[in-house]
Formats: sequence, C-alpha cells, structure tokens
Amino acid sequence: PGTTPLYPSPMTPMTPITPATPASESSGIVPQLQNIVSTVNLGCKLDLKTIALRARNAEYNPKRFAAVIMRIREPRTTALIFSSGKMVCTGAKSEEQSRLAARKYARVVQKLGFPAKFLDFKIQNMVGSCDVKFPIRLEGLVLTHQQFSSYEPELFPGLIYRMIKPRIVLLIFVSGKVVLTGAKVRAEIYEAFENIYPILK
Amino acid sequence: MPGGGHCPDCGSTELVEDSHYSQSQLVCSDCGCVVTEGVLTTTFSDEGNLREVTYSRSTGENDQVSRSQQRGLRRVRDLCRVLQLPSTFEDTAVAYYQQAYRHSGIRAARLQKKEVLVGCCVLITCRQHNWPLTMGTVCALLYADLDVFSGTYMQIVKLLGLDVPSLCLADLVKTYCSSFRLFQASPSVPPKYVEDKEKMLSRTLQLVELADETWLVTGRHPLPVITAATFLAWQSLQPSHRLTCSLARFCKLANVDLPYPASSRLQELLSVLLRMAERLAWLQVLKLDKRSVVKHIGDLLQHRHTLVRKAFRDGTAEMEAGEKELRERCQGPEQGKEEVASSSLDLPEGKRPASPTPLLPPCMLKPPKRICPPPPVSTVTGDENISDSEIEQYLRTPQEIKDFEKAQAARQAARSVSNPP
Repeated sequence: PGTTPLYPSPMTPMTPITPATPASESSGIVPQLQNIVSTVNLGCKLDLKTIALRARNAEYNPKRFAAVIMRIREPRTTALIFSSGKMVCTGAKSEEQSRLAARKYARVVQKLGFPAKFLDFKIQNMVGSCDVKFPIRLEGLVLTHQQFSSYEPELFPGLIYRMIKPRIVLLIFVSGKVVLTGAKVRAEIYEAFENIYPILK
Repeated sequence: MPGGGHCPDCGSTELVEDSHYSQSQLVCSDCGCVVTEGVLTTTFSDEGNLREVTYSRSTGENDQVSRSQQRGLRRVRDLCRVLQLPSTFEDTAVAYYQQAYRHSGIRAARLQKKEVLVGCCVLITCRQHNWPLTMGTVCALLYADLDVFSGTYMQIVKLLGLDVPSLCLADLVKTYCSSFRLFQASPSVPPKYVEDKEKMLSRTLQLVELADETWLVTGRHPLPVITAATFLAWQSLQPSHRLTCSLARFCKLANVDLPYPASSRLQELLSVLLRMAERLAWLQVLKLDKRSVVKHIGDLLQHRHTLVRKAFRDGTAEMEAGEKELRERCQGPEQGKEEVASSSLDLPEGKRPASPTPLLPPCMLKPPKRICPPPPVSTVTGDENISDSEIEQYLRTPQEIKDFEKAQAARQAARSVSNPP
C-alpha cells in the first residue's frame, strides 16, 4: 500500500507498446498518373521522308518541325521521331504502357526498312493529378511557404509550388485539385503528395 | 581657404582643391570658375610616383556598360518617371536591371525580351514597396504582350532569387477607384452620377473584402473584381438614380476600361449578397432579386460578418460550430449579448430559408463539365509480344503509296502553275 510495485501483478496485463494509430496519417488519396514522357534511341539514322510516305499514322512538315509525328491507338500515344534515330514517346498513363508503346513505334520503323534497335529507354517525366476535395486559400499558402511558392493571379490561377525533396513541381488550384510533375519515378509523385497534403489541410 | 587666393570672376575667397580625373584643380566654390589647372608637366622624380589612369576610369565609368544595357537603364528611369514613382524606386529598379544583365542568358536575349525586362524590374520594385502596379498597366505602357512579359518575369524572379510580395489588394482598390472620373460633374457625367470619393472608396473596400471572404478573389485576376465592386458601391449609394445604368456604361462615363471578366464577377457578387439578404429578417419578406438587392447593400455590408456566417456553411466546420454553440449556450449570459443581436436579425425557426449553401469557390459549385470515368486498372507489363498484324495496320500498301505520290505530284504541279517562278 502506498508504493506501486516495480513489476505489475500477473492480474494486470501490460499495456501494448505499439500505438493504435500511426504517428503520421496518410491522406488516403492516391494521385492518378496522367502522362509519361520517355525517350529511346533507335540506334540508326532515319529518312523521315520515307517514313512519312510509307506509314499511315505519320505526319511530317519539315518547315514547321524537324521530326515525324507518329501515333498509335493502343496504348494511345504520340511519338516524335528524329532523323538522328532518337525518339520521344508521350501520352502513356503508366511506365509499362510507355515502354510498350515505344517498342511498337520501333517495330513500325523496323518494318519500314530501317535497322531499328531499342537502346537506352528512359522515363524522362511523369505527370500525376488528384483532388483533395476542399478549397485552398492560395494567398495564405504563398505567405506561409513563400520560399517554395509562386502565386501570380494576374498570370495564372494556380499556385506553383517547387518542392525540394523530392524535386517535384506542384500546381495547386483553389478548387483543391493538384497537378504534380517532374518525377522520374512513380514514388516521387506519391511522396510529394503526402508531403503537401498536411500543408494544404 | 587660406592664402591670398581670389576668384578672378566673382572675387570670392572660397577656393577649393578639386581633383578632376587625375588632374588637380583650384575651383571657386561660389561660381565654379577654374582658377588654376594644376601642373601639366612633372619632374622626373614626381613621375615615379604617378599612376597610370586607364581610359575607362578617366571617363568616369566603372564598368564597361554596353550600349544595349545603357539603353535599358535609360528605359527603366523613363518608366519610373512616367509612373511618377518615388526616386528611391528608380535606383532599386536600375540595380535589378544591372543585376539581371550580369547573367549571360539576359545579355544574349532578344531586344523584345530586354524591353520587357525593363517592366519586370520596375514591377518587382513596386511590389516590394507595396506600390499597387498591375502587370496589365506595365504591358500597356511598354506595348508588350502579357505572355512575353509573363515568361520574362517568372524567369527573372527565379534567376535573381527574389522574394516578390503579392499585389496588395487594399492599395490597388484605392488607386484604381481614384482613377474613376466620377467625383466631379462634367459633360459626360450628369450631376446625379457624381459621387463622394471617400464614401465610394470605403464601400468598395468593404465589398472587395466580402468578395475575398466568399472565395471570389482567389485564383482570379484582381482587377475585374474591383471593377464590379466599384460599380456596386456607386450604384448602392444612390440606387434610385443609378439602377438604370449598366456596368459597361458606368465604365465608359468613368473613363475606365471594362475588363472582360467584370460582368461575371458582378453576377457572383450579387449572388453572394442575395444569399446574405435571405438571412436578414426585414429583407426576407421583400423577395429580392439581383436588381433590388442593390438598394440594401448598405445594410448588408453593415452586418456582413454575421450574415456571411449564417448564410454559408463550411462543410467540416459546420458540425464543430454546432457543437460549440451548444456548449456556449450552456455557459451563461455572457454570450447572451451577441446572441440577442444575431437573433434579432434572424427569423424565427419556422420561417428560416433552406439549409445554407456551402462557402466554396464558384469553380467548385458548378457541376463538372464531363464526368471522367476512373481509368481501368492497367495490367500492361511492357514486355508483351507485339503481333505483326497490329504493326501492319500502320503501314501503307504499295497501292496506297503510289496513290499518295501521285496526289503529292499533282499538288506540286498545281502550286507551280499558280505561282510561276
């Protein structure tokens, strides 16, 4: 009586050590990937006039732009094919789809008579978007996070947030919609969103 | 000045030694007459102590300032003078321009960009001193395109690592409102339209604050909101004579350009005022519309804080506010005063209008243009087999190639006929 025992009696169980709720709650919102830009080297010089002549899905206006613009239906993407043999593939919704699309473009170029290879495929940029579903006071955010934010309503309705870690640019709108860009891997988009969500709430 | 020195021109004894470049001179401080020019020849021993003066130093310029930069700096000073800015602003803007010029990307830029850079430096200086200069005004003065201005502005802020404060809304209201030609009667402004400047400013400020609170300002260009607020303030100060005047006519007789979004901002502001009017007992019975509510703007603004709270609800805060109210009621008579005041404005329970609308920006209240179905989960691995048939659908048949070549040749021929060399 008066002093607490050093060890609890067998009748009183010890309280569990791990907390029921984690220290930082995740937002529960997953950004959706909207666009993937990738590049690949076909490894041989290309004659763009020939490609434009023999392919149905190609467009080539040398006076406007020095590359052939080619499109395929599945995955729905667009490619810019340069005479150096380098190619840019845009419009895919996932990394795997971007790679599959790039392979299909390479195959088309092969069938047109060029010894196309598939070298140094690389994802250059990933764009994601999501909706936090509550309005955001952009003028308040630019004050509290001035060193990362740029908000000029005379030029653009959204706030441009340049996150340092990960190195992602976010466009934040008053409606609560957020666009994330500049990622090389999917995890950077998710990480950036988890970083910004508590700031927006 | 000791010694027997007199100025030959005015006879003053106030002679000072002034070294002009590398030559010392005796100058009269009263009339500026140069009395002696110093020694032009030196002895052999003196020469050993002299230092060579380079050409650029002898002309007084510290840096090799290119003509292009000199022109730019002159333009900066001219712009500051046109805008009637304080002289300290001029020096700051010039410093920014010089700082920008140290970057090779700016030195090598097109003249159009350098011209726009002048405006950017002046704008940044004004923002840092809370001087309400809009980008529209700067672009108009420089005859520049806002897109070009925007690109250069964003680039220079990043390049120089500057912290540019936001445009101060209250100051912008004051300067913009003051530019409306409505404070004196003139051939274009009938006497019933003339208004007292202070009254109009004060009411416009309150309306702009109301617009800001109800999400009409965030993400939008600030000027059209102020135009709409100025119009409503002016109308409401003498509604009987001014309700017939439209926004366009108002801007015309006030000699101010009507920005395109102002009509839309006006409608949004009137909707907010109508929602607030529904919460005011003696206005509820009048069944107001967007025209008649203008007559009561004075009353609505007087009670705006309470009315906004009552007329709109904030989704998450609603529940918390409800709980807080219950707790406060139990606390006692201290809260009574505010509650009595608010309840006198409010209708009895049974007659209250339907549940308040959410306080959200207009873009969140409009129904979505098209409902985007969530994309199906993709099972693509990127390594799938690509069938030949799928690729062949993208290749032209030999016949198609021939037809295409024929069509191209025909078009070429037609072109050369219509444009003979």
